[in-house]
Amino acid sequence: MGEKESREVRLPDLGAVEAFTVVQWLKVEGAEVAAGEELLEVETEKTTFVIEAPVSGRLERIVVHEGERALRDDLLAEIA
Amino acid sequence: MTSWLKSPERGLQAVHLPLGHADYAATYRLQQHLHGLRSRDDIADSILTVEHDPVLTIGRSGSRESILVPQEVLTREGISVFEVDRGGDITYHGPGQLVVYPIVDLREQGRDLRRYIRNLEQSVIDLLADLEVDAVRRPGFPGVWVGSRKIASIGVHVRNWVTRHGIALNVDVDRFHFGMIRPCGLEIEIVSLNELTPKSFAISDLIEPHLAQLSRLFGWEVRVEDPRRHWEACR
Repeated sequence: MGEKESREVRLPDLGAVEAFTVVQWLKVEGAEVAAGEELLEVETEKTTFVIEAPVSGRLERIVVHEGERALRDDLLAEIA
Repeated sequence: MTSWLKSPERGLQAVHLPLGHADYAATYRLQQHLHGLRSRDDIADSILTVEHDPVLTIGRSGSRESILVPQEVLTREGISVFEVDRGGDITYHGPGQLVVYPIVDLREQGRDLRRYIRNLEQSVIDLLADLEVDAVRRPGFPGVWVGSRKIASIGVHVRNWVTRHGIALNVDVDRFHFGMIRPCGLEIEIVSLNELTPKSFAISDLIEPHLAQLSRLFGWEVRVEDPRRHWEACR
Protein backbone atom coordinates (compact mmCIF):
# COMPACT_ATOMS: atom_id res chain seq x y z
CA MET A 1 0.00 0.00 0.00
CA GLY A 2 1.43 3.43 -0.95
CA GLU A 3 1.83 6.24 1.49
CA LYS A 4 -1.06 8.22 0.02
CA GLU A 5 -3.49 5.31 0.27
CA SER A 6 -2.62 4.59 3.87
CA ARG A 7 -3.56 8.17 4.78
CA GLU A 8 -7.08 7.69 3.51
CA VAL A 9 -9.75 6.58 5.96
CA ARG A 10 -12.12 4.00 4.55
CA LEU A 11 -14.37 1.26 5.89
CA PRO A 12 -12.23 -1.76 6.82
CA ASP A 13 -13.15 -5.05 5.16
CA LEU A 14 -16.13 -6.26 7.22
CA GLY A 15 -17.22 -8.98 4.82
CA ALA A 16 -20.18 -8.50 2.50
CA VAL A 17 -21.18 -5.03 3.68
CA GLU A 18 -22.31 -2.81 0.78
CA ALA A 19 -23.46 0.45 2.36
CA PHE A 20 -23.39 2.08 5.75
CA THR A 21 -24.13 5.32 7.59
CA VAL A 22 -21.69 7.50 9.48
CA VAL A 23 -23.17 7.80 12.98
CA GLN A 24 -20.58 9.94 14.72
CA TRP A 25 -17.07 11.33 14.27
CA LEU A 26 -15.14 10.87 17.50
CA LYS A 27 -12.51 13.44 16.40
CA VAL A 28 -12.99 16.88 14.86
CA GLU A 29 -11.31 18.15 11.71
CA GLY A 30 -7.85 19.43 12.55
CA ALA A 31 -7.39 17.13 15.56
CA GLU A 32 -4.24 15.07 15.99
CA VAL A 33 -4.95 11.35 15.94
CA ALA A 34 -2.78 8.36 16.73
CA ALA A 35 -2.80 5.15 14.69
CA GLY A 36 -5.27 2.74 16.28
CA GLU A 37 -7.20 5.49 18.06
CA GLU A 38 -10.98 5.37 17.70
CA LEU A 39 -11.96 7.76 14.91
CA LEU A 40 -15.58 7.28 13.93
CA GLU A 41 -18.62 5.09 14.42
CA VAL A 42 -20.61 3.72 11.50
CA GLU A 43 -23.80 1.67 11.33
CA THR A 44 -24.94 -1.06 8.97
CA GLU A 45 -27.62 -3.73 9.39
CA LYS A 46 -28.40 -2.86 13.02
CA THR A 47 -24.74 -2.98 13.91
CA THR A 48 -22.57 -0.10 15.01
CA PHE A 49 -18.88 -0.46 14.28
CA VAL A 50 -16.05 1.72 15.57
CA ILE A 51 -13.32 2.47 13.01
CA GLU A 52 -9.81 3.26 14.20
CA ALA A 53 -7.33 5.67 12.63
CA PRO A 54 -5.18 3.76 10.11
CA VAL A 55 -2.18 6.08 10.67
CA SER A 56 -1.07 8.85 13.00
CA GLY A 57 -1.41 12.46 11.86
CA ARG A 58 -3.83 15.34 11.66
CA LEU A 59 -7.44 14.70 10.64
CA GLU A 60 -7.19 16.93 7.60
CA ARG A 61 -10.62 16.58 6.04
CA ILE A 62 -13.85 14.75 6.82
CA VAL A 63 -15.52 13.72 3.56
CA VAL A 64 -18.60 11.83 4.78
CA HIS A 65 -20.34 13.63 7.60
CA GLU A 66 -22.56 12.41 10.45
CA GLY A 67 -25.87 11.05 9.23
CA GLU A 68 -24.64 10.58 5.65
CA ARG A 69 -24.66 7.27 3.76
CA ALA A 70 -21.60 5.82 2.10
CA LEU A 71 -20.70 2.82 -0.04
CA ARG A 72 -18.10 0.32 1.09
CA ASP A 73 -15.18 1.77 -0.88
CA ASP A 74 -15.93 5.46 -0.34
CA LEU A 75 -13.32 7.82 1.04
CA LEU A 76 -14.46 8.87 4.54
CA ALA A 77 -11.64 11.20 5.57
CA GLU A 78 -8.01 12.09 4.99
CA ILE A 79 -5.23 12.16 7.56
CA ALA A 80 -2.26 14.42 6.72
CA MET B 1 -2.50 -18.23 28.53
CA THR B 2 -5.04 -18.29 25.74
CA SER B 3 -3.59 -20.95 23.45
CA TRP B 4 -6.40 -23.29 24.49
CA LEU B 5 -8.88 -20.91 22.89
CA LYS B 6 -7.65 -21.80 19.44
CA SER B 7 -6.58 -25.39 19.96
CA PRO B 8 -7.71 -27.17 16.76
CA GLU B 9 -8.54 -30.45 18.47
CA ARG B 10 -10.87 -28.68 20.87
CA GLY B 11 -12.37 -26.08 18.52
CA LEU B 12 -13.39 -22.66 19.81
CA GLN B 13 -14.32 -22.46 23.44
CA ALA B 14 -17.19 -20.35 24.72
CA VAL B 15 -18.61 -19.75 28.15
CA HIS B 16 -22.31 -19.49 28.94
CA LEU B 17 -23.06 -17.03 31.73
CA PRO B 18 -26.70 -17.52 32.76
CA LEU B 19 -27.81 -14.26 34.40
CA GLY B 20 -31.39 -15.32 35.03
CA HIS B 21 -33.42 -12.21 35.77
CA ALA B 22 -31.21 -9.10 35.75
CA ASP B 23 -31.44 -5.34 35.67
CA TYR B 24 -30.83 -3.77 32.26
CA ALA B 25 -28.35 -1.10 33.38
CA ALA B 26 -26.31 -3.56 35.45
CA THR B 27 -26.25 -6.02 32.56
CA TYR B 28 -25.08 -3.25 30.22
CA ARG B 29 -22.15 -2.55 32.55
CA LEU B 30 -21.42 -6.27 32.75
CA GLN B 31 -21.32 -6.46 28.95
CA GLN B 32 -18.86 -3.56 28.84
CA HIS B 33 -16.70 -5.26 31.46
CA LEU B 34 -16.67 -8.56 29.57
CA HIS B 35 -16.08 -6.72 26.29
CA GLY B 36 -12.90 -5.25 27.78
CA LEU B 37 -11.74 -8.65 29.01
CA ARG B 38 -12.49 -10.28 25.65
CA SER B 39 -10.71 -7.48 23.75
CA ARG B 40 -7.57 -8.20 25.79
CA ASP B 41 -8.00 -11.95 25.20
CA ASP B 42 -8.36 -12.49 28.95
CA ILE B 43 -11.54 -14.54 28.55
CA ALA B 44 -13.11 -16.79 25.91
CA ASP B 45 -16.17 -15.80 23.87
CA SER B 46 -18.98 -15.42 26.40
CA ILE B 47 -22.71 -15.77 25.96
CA LEU B 48 -24.99 -14.01 28.41
CA THR B 49 -28.60 -15.11 28.67
CA VAL B 50 -30.98 -12.86 30.58
CA GLU B 51 -34.55 -11.74 31.13
CA HIS B 52 -35.00 -8.02 31.92
CA ASP B 53 -37.54 -5.94 33.76
CA PRO B 54 -39.50 -3.74 31.34
CA VAL B 55 -37.24 -1.21 29.61
CA LEU B 56 -37.11 0.67 26.35
CA THR B 57 -33.71 0.96 24.72
CA ILE B 58 -32.87 3.33 21.92
CA GLY B 59 -30.04 2.46 19.53
CA ARG B 60 -27.74 4.84 17.71
CA SER B 61 -30.15 5.46 14.82
CA GLY B 62 -33.22 5.92 17.00
CA SER B 63 -34.91 8.65 18.97
CA ARG B 64 -37.57 9.17 21.61
CA GLU B 65 -39.95 10.04 18.76
CA SER B 66 -40.61 6.31 18.43
CA ILE B 67 -42.15 6.26 21.94
CA LEU B 68 -45.90 6.56 21.46
CA VAL B 69 -46.96 7.24 25.05
CA PRO B 70 -46.26 10.18 27.38
CA GLN B 71 -43.60 9.93 30.08
CA GLU B 72 -46.32 9.62 32.80
CA VAL B 73 -47.40 6.28 31.34
CA LEU B 74 -43.82 4.99 31.31
CA THR B 75 -43.37 6.12 34.90
CA ARG B 76 -46.64 4.51 35.99
CA GLU B 77 -45.67 1.23 34.32
CA GLY B 78 -42.16 1.39 35.81
CA ILE B 79 -40.49 1.43 32.39
CA SER B 80 -37.05 3.06 32.14
CA VAL B 81 -35.59 4.36 28.88
CA PHE B 82 -31.92 3.86 27.98
CA GLU B 83 -29.95 5.27 25.08
CA VAL B 84 -27.38 2.64 24.16
CA ASP B 85 -24.58 2.13 21.64
CA ARG B 86 -26.00 -0.74 19.61
CA GLY B 87 -27.20 -0.31 16.04
CA GLY B 88 -30.87 0.14 15.27
CA ASP B 89 -33.76 2.19 16.59
CA ILE B 90 -35.97 1.56 19.61
CA THR B 91 -36.87 -1.77 21.16
CA TYR B 92 -38.55 -3.17 24.23
CA HIS B 93 -37.16 -5.70 26.67
CA GLY B 94 -39.19 -7.25 29.43
CA PRO B 95 -40.47 -10.37 31.11
CA GLY B 96 -41.20 -13.22 28.71
CA GLN B 97 -38.33 -12.35 26.40
CA LEU B 98 -35.12 -14.37 26.08
CA VAL B 99 -32.27 -11.91 25.56
CA VAL B 100 -28.91 -13.27 24.42
CA TYR B 101 -25.77 -11.13 24.45
CA PRO B 102 -22.79 -12.87 22.82
CA ILE B 103 -19.44 -11.23 23.54
CA VAL B 104 -17.57 -12.59 20.52
CA ASP B 105 -14.20 -11.86 18.93
CA LEU B 106 -15.08 -11.64 15.25
CA ARG B 107 -11.43 -12.04 14.29
CA GLU B 108 -12.00 -15.72 15.10
CA GLN B 109 -15.20 -15.75 13.03
CA GLY B 110 -13.74 -14.58 9.72
CA ARG B 111 -14.05 -10.82 10.44
CA ASP B 112 -17.41 -10.93 8.71
CA LEU B 113 -20.00 -8.67 10.27
CA ARG B 114 -22.79 -9.74 7.98
CA ARG B 115 -22.19 -13.42 8.58
CA TYR B 116 -22.28 -12.76 12.32
CA ILE B 117 -25.72 -11.13 12.03
CA ARG B 118 -26.93 -13.92 9.72
CA ASN B 119 -25.74 -16.54 12.21
CA LEU B 120 -27.53 -14.85 15.09
CA GLU B 121 -30.73 -14.80 13.05
CA GLN B 122 -30.19 -18.37 11.91
CA SER B 123 -29.78 -19.59 15.51
CA VAL B 124 -33.32 -18.40 16.26
CA ILE B 125 -34.75 -19.57 12.93
CA ASP B 126 -33.38 -23.09 13.55
CA LEU B 127 -34.50 -23.08 17.19
CA LEU B 128 -38.03 -22.19 16.06
CA ALA B 129 -37.96 -24.77 13.26
CA ASP B 130 -37.38 -27.46 15.89
CA LEU B 131 -40.55 -26.21 17.58
CA GLU B 132 -42.36 -26.37 14.23
CA VAL B 133 -42.57 -22.62 13.84
CA ASP B 134 -41.67 -21.43 10.36
CA ALA B 135 -39.61 -18.25 10.79
CA VAL B 136 -37.71 -16.32 8.14
CA ARG B 137 -35.50 -13.33 7.39
CA ARG B 138 -36.88 -10.34 5.54
CA PRO B 139 -34.33 -8.72 3.20
CA GLY B 140 -33.52 -5.23 4.40
CA PHE B 141 -35.16 -5.79 7.80
CA PRO B 142 -32.74 -7.53 10.16
CA GLY B 143 -34.34 -9.73 12.81
CA VAL B 144 -36.48 -12.86 12.63
CA TRP B 145 -40.01 -12.84 11.32
CA VAL B 146 -43.02 -15.14 11.29
CA GLY B 147 -44.91 -13.98 8.23
CA SER B 148 -45.06 -10.21 8.57
CA ARG B 149 -44.75 -10.28 12.36
CA LYS B 150 -41.47 -9.86 14.20
CA ILE B 151 -40.51 -12.52 16.74
CA ALA B 152 -36.84 -11.61 17.38
CA SER B 153 -34.99 -8.29 17.29
CA ILE B 154 -31.33 -7.75 16.69
CA GLY B 155 -28.89 -4.98 17.60
CA VAL B 156 -25.11 -5.17 17.86
CA HIS B 157 -22.12 -2.99 18.69
CA VAL B 158 -18.59 -3.87 17.58
CA ARG B 159 -15.34 -2.25 18.62
CA ASN B 160 -11.90 -3.87 18.56
CA TRP B 161 -13.72 -6.55 16.52
CA VAL B 162 -15.49 -7.70 19.70
CA THR B 163 -19.29 -7.70 19.82
CA ARG B 164 -21.79 -6.79 22.47
CA HIS B 165 -25.62 -6.58 22.58
CA GLY B 166 -27.30 -9.33 20.54
CA ILE B 167 -30.71 -10.85 19.88
CA ALA B 168 -34.00 -10.89 21.80
CA LEU B 169 -36.63 -13.58 21.23
CA ASN B 170 -40.23 -12.87 22.22
CA VAL B 171 -41.48 -15.92 24.08
CA ASP B 172 -44.44 -14.47 25.96
CA VAL B 173 -44.16 -10.68 26.08
CA ASP B 174 -46.61 -8.05 27.28
CA ARG B 175 -48.32 -6.71 24.17
CA PHE B 176 -49.45 -3.59 25.99
CA HIS B 177 -45.84 -2.69 26.75
CA PHE B 178 -44.65 -3.41 23.22
CA GLY B 179 -47.51 -1.26 21.94
CA MET B 180 -45.89 1.79 23.55
CA ILE B 181 -43.32 2.06 20.79
CA ARG B 182 -42.93 1.86 17.07
CA PRO B 183 -40.39 -1.00 17.13
CA CYS B 184 -37.35 -0.17 15.03
CA GLY B 185 -39.21 3.04 14.11
CA LEU B 186 -41.53 0.99 11.90
CA GLU B 187 -45.22 0.16 11.89
CA ILE B 188 -44.73 -3.52 12.56
CA GLU B 189 -46.55 -6.13 14.55
CA ILE B 190 -44.82 -8.17 17.21
CA VAL B 191 -45.51 -11.83 17.91
CA SER B 192 -44.52 -14.15 20.75
CA LEU B 193 -43.61 -17.82 20.43
CA ASN B 194 -46.38 -18.90 22.80
CA GLU B 195 -49.01 -17.42 20.48
CA LEU B 196 -47.82 -19.81 17.78
CA THR B 197 -47.47 -23.10 19.63
CA PRO B 198 -49.92 -25.30 21.53
CA LYS B 199 -47.37 -25.67 24.32
CA SER B 200 -46.54 -22.71 26.55
CA PHE B 201 -42.77 -22.27 26.84
CA ALA B 202 -40.84 -20.75 29.72
CA ILE B 203 -37.60 -18.85 29.03
CA SER B 204 -35.68 -21.61 30.79
CA ASP B 205 -37.00 -24.21 28.30
CA LEU B 206 -35.33 -22.38 25.42
CA ILE B 207 -31.88 -21.45 26.72
CA GLU B 208 -30.19 -24.83 26.21
CA PRO B 209 -31.71 -25.47 22.76
CA HIS B 210 -30.71 -21.98 21.65
CA LEU B 211 -27.15 -22.43 22.92
CA ALA B 212 -26.99 -25.69 20.95
CA GLN B 213 -27.84 -23.78 17.77
CA LEU B 214 -25.29 -21.06 18.52
CA SER B 215 -22.60 -23.68 19.22
CA ARG B 216 -23.23 -25.37 15.90
CA LEU B 217 -23.22 -22.13 13.90
CA PHE B 218 -20.19 -20.54 15.57
CA GLY B 219 -18.17 -23.74 16.07
CA TRP B 220 -18.16 -23.41 19.85
CA GLU B 221 -17.78 -25.91 22.59
CA VAL B 222 -19.81 -24.24 25.34
CA ARG B 223 -19.39 -24.72 29.06
CA VAL B 224 -21.49 -23.00 31.69
CA GLU B 225 -19.93 -20.75 34.31
CA ASP B 226 -21.33 -18.97 37.36
CA PRO B 227 -21.42 -15.25 36.46
CA ARG B 228 -20.82 -14.19 40.07
CA ARG B 229 -17.12 -13.29 39.76
CA HIS B 230 -17.89 -11.02 36.80
CA TRP B 231 -20.78 -9.35 38.63
CA GLU B 232 -18.48 -8.68 41.57
CA ALA B 233 -15.70 -7.34 39.35
CA CYS B 234 -17.90 -4.68 37.74
CA ARG B 235 -19.74 -3.48 40.82
